Amino acid sequence: MLRITNLGKSYGSARVLSGIDLDVQPHDVVAIIGPSGSGKSTLLKCINFLERYDEGEVRFGDELVGYVEASGQRRLATERQTNRLRAEMGMVFQNFNLFPHMTTLQNVIEGPIQVKGVARDEAVRHAEQLLAKVGLADKRDVRPTKLSGGQQQRAAIARALAMRPRLMLFDEPTSALDPELVGEVLTTMRELAAEGMTMVIVTHEMSFARDVASRVVFMEGGRIVEEGPPGKIFTNPDNARTRAFLARVLH
Amino acid sequence: MGYEWQFAIILEYWPIFARGAITTLQITLLSSVIGLFIGLLVGVSRESSGVFVRSVTSIYVEMIRATPALVQIVWLYYCFPIIFGYQLSAMTSIIIALGIHSGAYVSEIVRAGINAVDTGQFLAAKSIGMNHFTALRRIILPQAGQKMIPPLINEFANLMKLTTLGSMIAVYELLQESNNLIATTYRPLEVYTFLAIFFFFITYPWIWLSQRLERRLKMRA
Repeated sequence: MLRITNLGKSYGSARVLSGIDLDVQPHDVVAIIGPSGSGKSTLLKCINFLERYDEGEVRFGDELVGYVEASGQRRLATERQTNRLRAEMGMVFQNFNLFPHMTTLQNVIEGPIQVKGVARDEAVRHAEQLLAKVGLADKRDVRPTKLSGGQQQRAAIARALAMRPRLMLFDEPTSALDPELVGEVLTTMRELAAEGMTMVIVTHEMSFARDVASRVVFMEGGRIVEEGPPGKIFTNPDNARTRAFLARVLH
Repeated sequence: MGYEWQFAIILEYWPIFARGAITTLQITLLSSVIGLFIGLLVGVSRESSGVFVRSVTSIYVEMIRATPALVQIVWLYYCFPIIFGYQLSAMTSIIIALGIHSGAYVSEIVRAGINAVDTGQFLAAKSIGMNHFTALRRIILPQAGQKMIPPLINEFANLMKLTTLGSMIAVYELLQESNNLIATTYRPLEVYTFLAIFFFFITYPWIWLSQRLERRLKMRA
């Protein structure tokens, strides 16, 4: 479903990603872990081209993300082409980024109506289902500023799901939350995984990664150091750096 | 000072002031509309990705901000017809010139407003597949708009005062009418004093409103 091949990115002379290969199959839940500054979030943003990568490729389905190839050359895709792919990937941000001038419901129906041209009634019906699912049915007419962090993040998940994405990207979804609010967001994500949603999650929640992920990717210095099933990565990693990182965060 | 103020003269000639005030108001309103239109377009363009659009609009803004409004007005009135062979009336000239003038300042207000919106908002809009224009219209400008209102009102008050430059090309706004009145009554002290007070009363409420809204926004933030 998602295939990343030899992906690289630099800011000027600073290399932030190099030689990234990652394959995501339908229903996979991939957790990306690693120290801060390891390029996890940048990698995630390259997948939906919020960050432009300059080497290698990201393929979603059969399509190259962000670029078009013509006779061996590649150039930037049009905004329309990139947007069409983005609309099929939901993204949840660390800081929620809900639209503050809209109610929760309006946040959720905005994409379907404006981007996909869904009829308002239908969008509202779907949004109400989604809000019920994330436990915010009673908050539909409330502005995001009146919601707790956990509620805001669940609303943001509903907003992303409203586009009926084939893939969900989570960029440290619980890092900005007070500890007591982390659980409710993780519960929502766990349910989503159980329904078979394909997910790529950048996270610092090791126990969540261990319980929910089908695969764990450990990144450091802009590279994938090791990847494998959580059972292996968390109990018996091959790489010394993976071991050192886990020793630091688990104790 | 032995001067005998005779403000009765103002009362006597009030229709002339009224006529001037109407013209002043017309210029202010029409040039504001033009300025708002240009400013919105240019402000948004300066934040766009096209290099050509960005440089053209930057040149416009910097040229206007670095030349006096009066020079812009007389240029449009005297030079434009010679170069382009089309004479605009004095009234049209000042409305267009002030519109173009204020467009540059409004565009900076718009740009500052857009920049004040959290970048995460743009990311969120893009992540659901929105194009740049829809994101601006639906997500960014509604949030920027609130921040833009106080400086825009202030700009409106500025334009109101700039209308007096019309007297240089014989537009019958308040200052020009006052000058004509002085020519017949020989009462510059009363006329100019009244003019100053009059301007204060039509301009200050806007400045006051602008400050008040700005304070309210700050308190809510």
